[in-house]
Amino acid sequence: MAVQDIKPTRSELIELKRKIKLSESGHKILKMKRDGLILEFFEVLEKAKSVRAELDADFDVATEKINIAKAVEGVVTVRSTAFSFKDAPQLVVESKNVMGVVVPKIESSSVRKSLNERGYGIIGTSSRIDEAADAYEILVEKIILAAEIETTIKKLLDEIEKTKRRVNALEFKVIPELIEARNFIILRLDEMERENTFRLKRIKS
Amino acid sequence: MEIAVIGNSEFTTGFRLAGIKKIYETKGTNDLVPTLQSVLEEREVGVLVIHNDDLASLPEQFRIMLDEMVTPTTIALGGAGESSNLRDKIKQAVGVDLW
Repeated sequence: MAVQDIKPTRSELIELKRKIKLSESGHKILKMKRDGLILEFFEVLEKAKSVRAELDADFDVATEKINIAKAVEGVVTVRSTAFSFKDAPQLVVESKNVMGVVVPKIESSSVRKSLNERGYGIIGTSSRIDEAADAYEILVEKIILAAEIETTIKKLLDEIEKTKRRVNALEFKVIPELIEARNFIILRLDEMERENTFRLKRIKS
Repeated sequence: MEIAVIGNSEFTTGFRLAGIKKIYETKGTNDLVPTLQSVLEEREVGVLVIHNDDLASLPEQFRIMLDEMVTPTTIALGGAGESSNLRDKIKQAVGVDLW
């Protein structure tokens, strides 16, 4: 709002004072929200780091195990065994609210299965395939955990950025402009009052 | 809800061994976007697993959309893409490299 566009009236001054008060309280609340989000972020960060490291390590192990299984048993055997699996793990994805940020909460049915629950014949396959299946079951468990934590951290970061932008806009743009406009009106009203007093004195004399 | 895996047969076979049924095999990058679109339309997919190289080959708008979606939640595996994405995000939001 440019200073020259402001009407120097008392009602405008009252309105501006009200806006400044509102902006300052909004700024305070948003700063508190930003600090709260950062605290929440720090809590999740360590967990996210360790889960991501474990996930990468588990993926490498699983890839290695399946490559060994493919090399020993042949790609066709591994693929045909993989097609015989039953019972996919079921997920329950819920949303929870952390300071206005919607984050997922994922729960799953048991991913790990015993040999006789997997649905393929034990005699026809080797332990290499069992090891690969074990490694992938561990990986899937980790994926479910990582999905929840990484999405939470991404959502928190987005919200921190948005809140920071709002706080900065209020602190460095909106509030200073409103204060400038208020000071201008006060100055103009004082000036008008002085002019009026001077005019009255001249008429009197 | 279920886990869905999208990628080439080398990437997806192992997940079949873990009992995952929603496997979408793609043949090259041209096939990836339409397959992903059809996966995203499915209501039963809760977590989407994709290889980092495939994710990197997607158009930016699509990547942003996947990044912002809660259901399905996307998890990228392999390479160093995902952790560096998070690192950049942290640097941008907090202003310090905390990863």
